[in-house]
Amino acid sequence: MTQTLPDSAATGAASPVVELRGVRHGFEGVQALRGVSFEVGAGEVVGLIGENGAGKSTLVKILTGVLQPDEGSLLLHGEPVRFASPRAARHAGIAAMYQEPLIFPDLSVAENIFVGRQPSRSVFVDWSAMQEQAHGFLRRLGIELDPKTPARDLSVAERQLVEIAKALSLGAQIVILDEPTAVLSAREVDRLLEIVRRLREHGITLLYITHRLDEVMKVTDRVVVLRDGEKVADVRTAETTMRDLVRSMVGQELAALEQKRRDAQPSEEVMLDARGLTRYGYFEDVSFQVRRGEILGVFGLVGAGRTEVAQALFGIDPIDAGSIVLDGRPFVPRSPRHAIRSGVAYLPENRLLNGLVAPLAIRLNMTMTIWSALARLGIVRERPIDRSVDDLARRVRLQRGSRRRPASTLSGGNQQKVVLSKWLATHPKVLILDEPTHGVDVGAKADVLRIVAEHATAGVAVVVISSELEEIKDLSDRVIVMQAGTVSGEFATPVDEDRVVAAAYGLQHETAETPT
Amino acid sequence: MSGFRHLLRWESGLAVLAVALFAFMASASSNFATSFTLQSLALNSTVIGFLALGVAPVIISGDIDISIAAMLGLCTIVMADVWHGGVNIWVAAVISMLLGCVLGFANGIFVVLLELPSLAITLGSMGAYTGIAFLILGGSAITGFPNSLVTLGTGLAPGTGIPWSTFVLLAAAAALAFLLHRTVVGRAIFAIGSNKQASRFSGLAVVRTKILVFVISGFMSGVAAVFYAGYFDTAQGGLGSEDLLPAITVVILGGVSAYGGTGTIPGVVLALFVLGILQTGLGVLGLSGQEQTIAVGLTLILALAVSAASRALRARLATAVPRVPSREAA
Amino acid sequence: MRRRLDSVLASVSRAPELGLIWILAAITIYAVAALPAFRTTSNADQILSNSTIIAILALAETMVLLTRQIDLSVGAILGLCAYVVGSAIGHVGGGPAVAIALSLGLGGVLGLGNALLVDLIRMPAIIATLATLSIYGGLQVVVTNGSQLYAYQLPHWVNALYSTHWGPLPAFAAVAVIFVVLLTIAVQLTRWGRDLYAMGSNPGAAAYAGLPVRRHTYEAFIACGALSGFAGLLYAAQYGNVDATAGNGIELTAIAAAVIGGVSLFGGAGSPLGAALGALLLIEIENILAIEKISIFAQELLQGLAIIASVAVYALVRRYAQVRARRRLRLKPVEPLPAAAIEPVPITVEGREASL
Repeated sequence: MTQTLPDSAATGAASPVVELRGVRHGFEGVQALRGVSFEVGAGEVVGLIGENGAGKSTLVKILTGVLQPDEGSLLLHGEPVRFASPRAARHAGIAAMYQEPLIFPDLSVAENIFVGRQPSRSVFVDWSAMQEQAHGFLRRLGIELDPKTPARDLSVAERQLVEIAKALSLGAQIVILDEPTAVLSAREVDRLLEIVRRLREHGITLLYITHRLDEVMKVTDRVVVLRDGEKVADVRTAETTMRDLVRSMVGQELAALEQKRRDAQPSEEVMLDARGLTRYGYFEDVSFQVRRGEILGVFGLVGAGRTEVAQALFGIDPIDAGSIVLDGRPFVPRSPRHAIRSGVAYLPENRLLNGLVAPLAIRLNMTMTIWSALARLGIVRERPIDRSVDDLARRVRLQRGSRRRPASTLSGGNQQKVVLSKWLATHPKVLILDEPTHGVDVGAKADVLRIVAEHATAGVAVVVISSELEEIKDLSDRVIVMQAGTVSGEFATPVDEDRVVAAAYGLQHETAETPT
Repeated sequence: MSGFRHLLRWESGLAVLAVALFAFMASASSNFATSFTLQSLALNSTVIGFLALGVAPVIISGDIDISIAAMLGLCTIVMADVWHGGVNIWVAAVISMLLGCVLGFANGIFVVLLELPSLAITLGSMGAYTGIAFLILGGSAITGFPNSLVTLGTGLAPGTGIPWSTFVLLAAAAALAFLLHRTVVGRAIFAIGSNKQASRFSGLAVVRTKILVFVISGFMSGVAAVFYAGYFDTAQGGLGSEDLLPAITVVILGGVSAYGGTGTIPGVVLALFVLGILQTGLGVLGLSGQEQTIAVGLTLILALAVSAASRALRARLATAVPRVPSREAA
Repeated sequence: MRRRLDSVLASVSRAPELGLIWILAAITIYAVAALPAFRTTSNADQILSNSTIIAILALAETMVLLTRQIDLSVGAILGLCAYVVGSAIGHVGGGPAVAIALSLGLGGVLGLGNALLVDLIRMPAIIATLATLSIYGGLQVVVTNGSQLYAYQLPHWVNALYSTHWGPLPAFAAVAVIFVVLLTIAVQLTRWGRDLYAMGSNPGAAAYAGLPVRRHTYEAFIACGALSGFAGLLYAAQYGNVDATAGNGIELTAIAAAVIGGVSLFGGAGSPLGAALGALLLIEIENILAIEKISIFAQELLQGLAIIASVAVYALVRRYAQVRARRRLRLKPVEPLPAAAIEPVPITVEGREASL
């Protein structure tokens, strides 16, 4: 049974600054939020946690005016509001900061902070005032950064700090931090948490969205947990532990995932052997092996470097050091084309950007990887394509309908099936799937996982990158965990969830149970 | 093919437009519907037709090539110069086509391998190729090409009343249509134009394909050069620069999206026809060459305005109709 | 050694004008040393004066390039305005003020045409200005109607302008300097100008930050057109005769000048000073080639190669600098903040209404 944590009453602070009542939002048949209600008071830091797909980003989009709730209301200082646009939300004093900082590479740090609202004397920019004020905000963050630096020269972490300074300078009353620390080093994280505390002292309200439970325990007053679009916990931080939070997030129902791989017989033959893979600034000394017929789960938080490793294996990004042996032969991936020829397939995390050619017909998307193979002398032959399409569609249980429609007309789950079939068509030796059930509804999810399991049984070496512990737990034969660019743990199934989570958060096992 | 239905609508629209314009011009002037005028129409459209066919794949693949007219000029001049130096005219013609490939390849190298913006590079190569052409001939001109070439450029196929050049143009269009719509390379061009990143992730040979489209563009300019020399019987520096706008207009009017990913060769051919009717008709009605150019510019604007409006309309219709909840396979 | 390279790369990508000044100086020194014909004051005057029109056009082009657009019609605008304004003041009479106002105004209207195409019809700027290049050029032919404007039809002050000196500088060069100064102030020192840079640097982020992106697009194209129109007035002053082909092809030179001067075709980078220096460099090279009796037909080739080379060099330099910057990923260790409470800094927020 689900263990529910005691729901705590409102914090008792004066009227809440932000309140959500019964907010619902759905998209293409998937309900992202199913009636979420909670409130945040002035000068409170509330952590918002939940697995991928739990509804956090939809909630943020509603708060920042990118989306409007289908049902329910949003109240600011007790007054119902409806943000028609992001600008309206910003005018109302809500500032959001995301993982990918929006900066102007050609402008200096100071100009980035004050873009569109530079301190001025009549029409002229008051450069010294701008430098001074920018310097002031940066100093409060403890950053020794010359405000004259062109933003192009900054690392991603530095750019984030500039954006924080910018949010500060905007005088926002409500600051939403969406996964801000994924790419920061330990020292910067501490710095950021200090700033969060200082902001709270100034009466600014903060919504802190993160996967990092240790940070939640350190800096928040309350924690709200979302799961599958519902609020499942709303507790004072002091009254809970990380272990409890993990349980709330993960739950104990298994969704539609029943397919245990009882018939799994991974062989001893190692298909992919990676040793010491390194790419400066992204990952370091990553080693793992995948056997034929085995499913290796790769768990970790956003920003841990898993996608980077996968893309390097697939020839998209360069590898600075390390070696790979594929099917007994040394393998240096030069390009995706080369990787595919060598038998590696990669299902990308970002479906719309990298996986699908949206305006192109479904049948063409499904066979993109084998156009050449199905053609004769470079001339496309429609019937082999149709045959392949029918076969693949059957295997993935693709929604019925004309395959000549553009792929953009499909739902997320079906789109994912299309992308998956493109890779199955290449009969790969190694199949790498990056968040394969991301943005995919329950039914399609089950299909995708089933297919993956089938292929492993048939002898393919499968690597599944996922941030959903439940999924990885039931699907994989072994699990490796990445954290901050390195492999922090390797486990055989059945895995001890606590230890896996601890490895993902970079904690010692003992501290996973005690709040700091 | 993606957007198939949309394009069919566009091409039908073009066909209707062609018929309507033709009827209008024929009624406006008795000189229009004569075989002489129509032959002039066909002959005048040849050079622009080759240029448009050449640059269409580049635009479909998501880039642009504004050096096509300059390549035309340089190829014509080199061909003329080489012939003038004593080489057989047909060998010179082949040289022109090969040179076109080389020039296109140069464009491709800079754009694809160095990953530089195609607008900038072809802007630069436009100047460079024009400049080289001027350097070769200076201010002088070469005329008096052999009869065989002139016949190709101006002559009619016996018994049909259709110019030779039109046959060649249609043959080239057919070949290009085959390449674009029936081969793997053609499919790749469309995919790359729609989403280069996803195409790369799917293992398509993006570099090779993109260089190929630039080579095709150059090759077609080289072919156009042969017909230019045959029709105008003259080669001098700066020739062909006025053909850039009409060629681009034909491509856009033909339904090729300026942003890449969609378009058909039949559409381009229809658009060539429409533009030909427009320009020839206006000429018969007494408009000067410059005035016709203004008309071409306005046509380009109109074509894009219509396509932008139809896109906006379709987007509005899409959001107005409630989405049918998708039935997921159990 | 690597650090030296890094800092050179950094300064080149930050301020390409510096590199340009070096090149300009080097070439000038070579020419002074090697070519006697180069050393005369009249030759220097000629270089300065002849580069003015190109410089003004390069400044015009810079306005749109900064916002990540382009304008191929500047030459046609120049020609059309040269004829219309020249004829107008020739017939009706008028002093400099009228002429300037007229040329700026007409050019601005033509630039507005470009802006409308780009904004309302959503045409990519390259295609839109290709269309207007032909339309405005066609209008120029129609308006001249077979004849041309002759020098004697222009007011005396116009014809005299080219050979006048204001102090040590030729009048033309002084005009160029004035405009460089004005535009540098407008574009690099005002909030409006910095908005343009932001738009070109990251159009999406600019819109998100609430900058009036649409309004600025209009302003950029109108400014470009106005400056091109003014260049037309200068054209009439320099050449006296204005016919149907005036200004044809000059857009390439203008863009080449801007690009060489460090104005990025991607937007967000470059300066009016750089564009003007680029013009000066191009004209100086043209001058040297003429003295050395190298074919003037090498011009266009040179400009084309200059564009390709500049784009390639600047892009590669910026790319390489970014790669090297990313290598230095870890921030330097930071001192912990003092435990004492920090005074809240008064947060000044300038409300900006985003319009259009």
